[in-house]
Amino acid sequence: MTKNDPIIVASDLTIAYELHRERKKLVALQDISLAVDPGEFVVLVGPSGCGKTSFINAISGLVPKASGSVTVRGSEVTGPGPDRAMVFQDYALLPWRTVESNVRMPFEFQDLGISEAEKNKRVKECLELVDLTGFEKSFPYELSGGMKQRVGIARALITNPDILLADEPFAAIDAMTREAMQAEMERIVMETGQTCVFITHSIDEAILLGDRVIVISYRPGKIKEVVNVNFPRPRMSNSAVKTSKEYAELRDHIWNLVKDEASQTNRGE
Amino acid sequence: MAATKNKSLQQFDTDDPNRIQDIGWTFKEVWRRTRGTVVVSINLITFFILWELVVIYGDINPLFLPKASEMFAELWVGLTTRAPEGAVFSGSILDHFLHSFNNLMFGLAIACLIGIPGGLLMGGNKYIESILSPYVWALASLPRIALVPLFILFLGFTTKMQVTIIVISAVFPIMINSWAGVKTTEKSLLAAARVFGANRVQLYVKVVLPYTLPFIISGIQQGIGRGLIGVVIAELFGGSSGLGYLIQRSADTFNTAMTFAVLLLLIVMSLSLINFTRWLEAYVAPWRNVNHI
Repeated sequence: MTKNDPIIVASDLTIAYELHRERKKLVALQDISLAVDPGEFVVLVGPSGCGKTSFINAISGLVPKASGSVTVRGSEVTGPGPDRAMVFQDYALLPWRTVESNVRMPFEFQDLGISEAEKNKRVKECLELVDLTGFEKSFPYELSGGMKQRVGIARALITNPDILLADEPFAAIDAMTREAMQAEMERIVMETGQTCVFITHSIDEAILLGDRVIVISYRPGKIKEVVNVNFPRPRMSNSAVKTSKEYAELRDHIWNLVKDEASQTNRGE
Repeated sequence: MAATKNKSLQQFDTDDPNRIQDIGWTFKEVWRRTRGTVVVSINLITFFILWELVVIYGDINPLFLPKASEMFAELWVGLTTRAPEGAVFSGSILDHFLHSFNNLMFGLAIACLIGIPGGLLMGGNKYIESILSPYVWALASLPRIALVPLFILFLGFTTKMQVTIIVISAVFPIMINSWAGVKTTEKSLLAAARVFGANRVQLYVKVVLPYTLPFIISGIQQGIGRGLIGVVIAELFGGSSGLGYLIQRSADTFNTAMTFAVLLLLIVMSLSLINFTRWLEAYVAPWRNVNHI
């Protein structure tokens, strides 16, 4: 296995949920095949309920697959592991723990053979990276939404994972803070060189952050189209990107792909 | 006080120092902080004065409604005197209060020892849940007072019987709340802990238990209310000591002032205990009261 082999490979991945009462299985995601290269930023877009979260959960190892396979660095995913970390839409911070203690949580659950001093250093670095120095002793309920999510990001980065999974991390954050967070996300991923799989509802967010945008169709979720985005980075601080003709075309293109699917959601089909 | 204040201000250190301004102690500020207490005090004082006046000028038979002042006098005397050594029957409110209070605390302790582990196990294990839940629901839905004659039959007019009734009254809210706490633990918190490598034991100890703690406390709070009913019922039906018995006896002997004094004491005791658990709940789980901040 060479350095440039894909880090995540999904082949014919199908995920289904059991509907207990009806004694049936609901296929959430069907025959997804996708290879993600190391350091790549892949964004999934699609209507709500299309199975984007299921895909990310299959990579993280939270959800079992019905058929097909997901491998990370060539080995089959059977459960969560320290090489993958996740940022959640609702932050998922433990409310009884301080910011520092939340960020340190992954160290408590996983024995990575790191010394205490090294752990402290990592916590400090990660809090610095997300600009939360000075808030170590605050509790999540004392923070704004954007700050909470920065804690979530710091927690995900603490073990220095190869893969960062993000499930609509900025969906619950107001528009202004969201832009700042997107810029921060881009900066962090550029700095750490991590592979990122990112879910969003926002087409702008998808184009600005992603190297590739995967459009997923509605129920059952299938890959409808893979769109390459070739703008140079950093994009968030470069206002020329957003005003360029290519950007508008790309946006229109993805919007047209998503629109058909979204209208099906509205009809509830 | 100063230390806690500094801690809460610490997080704003990076901000413009002018962001934190002294409010100062104006009359308005003092009133804003004390008006709750002031209004409650005036309200209660007025209530007792009106009570006193109604009895004096309303031509009301003191057998049915004593003067408020008589009630307070009875309460004061009752709480400051003890029965002499070797007395067969005590007329002291304090003696009966201590009997009831000790029983309540003992009963609550046993109810916690059964209810908390029971509820946690039911929430954590499907088999235990399906085996125990029919009995829990059956006993929880049965009016506990219906069991009193049975326990008198089993245990006689003893303290053991009284404590048993308190336990059976208080254990179910504690158990059901602990159970519900485990069951309603936020899925995203569990998912996060699992993603970051928590095993089953860590999941329970570091996520489920802390999440359930405020539920357990509010279960104990409900348990206190139910337990107090248990105390009074057990003593009314069978016993020769305790506040329930004293209510019965003072009414039987037409000492209504004493009856009212004991009722007032029960109210104060119940409210104090419940407020203590409220404070405890807010202390261990400040995130559940964010609206107040």
